[in-house]
Amino acid sequence: MTETTTRPIEPSEDQSEDGTPDLSEFGDSIDPLVFEQILEMDDDEEREFSRSIVKGFFDQAVATFKKMDDGLSSRDLSQLSSLGHFLKGSSATLGLTKVRDSCEKIQHYGAKKDDTGTKDEPSDEVCLNRIKETLTLVREEYEEVEKVLKRFYGFTSP
Amino acid sequence: MLEDPAYEQIVRWGDAGDSFVVLENEKFTKSILPKHFKHSNFASFVRQLNKYDFHKVRHNNEENGASPYGPGAWEFKHPEFQINNKDSLDNIRRKAPASRKPAAHPVSEEPVQIHQMDLVNVQLVATQQQLQQLQERYNELSNHNALMLQELINVQKTVANHESIMHQVMAFLNNIDTQIRDQRRNSRANGLPMFDQSHSHDASAAGISPQHFSPSDDRQASPLQHAQKLLEESYAAEEHIEQMNELYRQINNAVSTPPSDHGARNGVVPLSSQGGQPRSTAMNNSVIYPRMNADYQDNVYPAGQTNGIDPTTYAEHYSNISYPTPATGELETADSRRQYAADGRKKSIAIDPGWIRAPQILLVEDDPTCRRIGGKFLYSFKCAIDTAFDGLEAVEKISNGSKYDLILMDIIMPNLDGVSACRTIRNYDSAPIIAMTSNIRNDDIDMYFTSGMIIRPEWIPTSRENLLLTKSQGMNDVLPKPFTKEGLLNLLEKHLSHLKEKPPAQTKSSPAGSWHSPNQLAGVSPTGTSIADESYANTVRGHQSRGMDGYPHRRTVSEMSGPDEVVNDTNKRQRMFVQSYGNGVIGSMQRVPAG
Repeated sequence: MTETTTRPIEPSEDQSEDGTPDLSEFGDSIDPLVFEQILEMDDDEEREFSRSIVKGFFDQAVATFKKMDDGLSSRDLSQLSSLGHFLKGSSATLGLTKVRDSCEKIQHYGAKKDDTGTKDEPSDEVCLNRIKETLTLVREEYEEVEKVLKRFYGFTSP
Repeated sequence: MLEDPAYEQIVRWGDAGDSFVVLENEKFTKSILPKHFKHSNFASFVRQLNKYDFHKVRHNNEENGASPYGPGAWEFKHPEFQINNKDSLDNIRRKAPASRKPAAHPVSEEPVQIHQMDLVNVQLVATQQQLQQLQERYNELSNHNALMLQELINVQKTVANHESIMHQVMAFLNNIDTQIRDQRRNSRANGLPMFDQSHSHDASAAGISPQHFSPSDDRQASPLQHAQKLLEESYAAEEHIEQMNELYRQINNAVSTPPSDHGARNGVVPLSSQGGQPRSTAMNNSVIYPRMNADYQDNVYPAGQTNGIDPTTYAEHYSNISYPTPATGELETADSRRQYAADGRKKSIAIDPGWIRAPQILLVEDDPTCRRIGGKFLYSFKCAIDTAFDGLEAVEKISNGSKYDLILMDIIMPNLDGVSACRTIRNYDSAPIIAMTSNIRNDDIDMYFTSGMIIRPEWIPTSRENLLLTKSQGMNDVLPKPFTKEGLLNLLEKHLSHLKEKPPAQTKSSPAGSWHSPNQLAGVSPTGTSIADESYANTVRGHQSRGMDGYPHRRTVSEMSGPDEVVNDTNKRQRMFVQSYGNGVIGSMQRVPAG
């Protein structure tokens, strides 16, 4: 263990208020408080635990987006809703706020509701179109956080 | 029949009248046998005759071996079978059972076998029933055993509560001790002959025999205070009765002649007191960090380096308070500190809520990310974790007899959702079930309640709250997603309070903390379990006190505890003053408040 180890941030996540430089560059797409909780769980300098969590999330997200495409083409609204819920859970746990919010919208649209989930939307067509738009948006949001997180962990681009 | 002339050519009495002769074998079989028997088989008739002890009369010794009744004739003879003697017929019986049995057996063989099979079957069934009964009995006993264990834990808790009362008594006595000491000191300073009286009073109040008191007032105070000090230290960390015993051992070490009561307690479980020691030390460590950080991080280090306060870096940290990092060997220090920092971080996340035993938590979650993070959080709270992928797996685990202290249940899951799973689990188990969900909608709430799930009203829209509270009848909890460490910990502590070491200790430690000087933080450090540690602690305190107020190291022993410290210092100064300057100033010093 030497000081030359590439450590993206100081081992000082406990002082979340101070906002370490690296975390602040996550911008508003990642909730630093939530994400720091994960970082606190790391036992080592390599951040093996959070790294594997984030990697797992990447895989999960890509697979889910793919399934959402399928759901759109088969017009399976309930499937789209549950996929939205599924990805919402893991993105929320990582503090990926933008992705989470979009996933929640997909969940609502899939349940034939409006974006807040309060009003019913009777038209399948409207819901599917909304999901389609939101899916495009959430992909962009995901790519943004993916870029940030990959830089943070020093992943090489796929 | 034999006398019937119609049959004379076929069967008739023998010439001597003591036998009968079948003359025409063929005719006899065909015409006579069917009239009297169910068969027309001459061989069977002969066999029957043999059974009744009739015997064929042989004429081998006579001329040509020929029968006097003709070549085809069969003559049968029985001792009791005589012509014109019907009375003796009663004596003609089947042969005795001994000889009959072999003949009878083959006939009834098959029924007997069936009967035996039945018998074996019955026995088998009976054995199975017995086995089942044993099984039931075993289960019953297992349950009883579990209950007994629970009871044991309760008893332990009770004992722990008693110990906490002891602790309070100690604190109270300590106050009295202080007051009396001050009083005595003042009176001695005044030259009043109150000393002995107050001394003995003091001793009896403290429950320690008089001979413990060493000549110096300050040192008199220290054993008691030290004991109390140790007691408080461990209260922050205590987990088991063993540690209680450990405490008492410490007390006994501190107080040279142990009071008989404590001695007896120690005598009961000497082994466990040994075992308790390392744990208590470890616990102390983990408990201290947050407090230390809170107190020192602002003024000791620039942000980013303070988290690693570690027992081993104690001295270094304190030296760093006084002096900035030395220029020489800077790299090395930085390295080692970083290492400490890493260590410290590792330990600081391992929050130990002080469970009596590791709570068994079932985490039901289909999302791998949430499951892993949730599991990691729980792990850091010293919980034993089991996970289930969905409601179905959770139900299976519980119906298979797994017992959990708490179940964290995601709501929307494949195969079996959390609400249905909860409803099913309620058939087996009453463990608290916490809904983990990110969206609580109005229509969800009813579902949770009917399923027996627990909901926390804070997370419910206000409009529903009244309805909810009415419905919930005191049960409520939801862990909103994404859950936070704090949220999870609060929830665990709330629902698993019965597994906590003892909640009163927590509340009690805060007043204790409040009247302790900042120096006390050092005292709560990993010291206090052995003599060797003690000396180390003194060293640390030495650093500390030098840093704080420049007092000589030697003092620290008496400074160790609580509110008296200020008093002690004042008194010490006062006494030195008195000694130096004599009675002249005593009058004014007397009015120094006792604390």
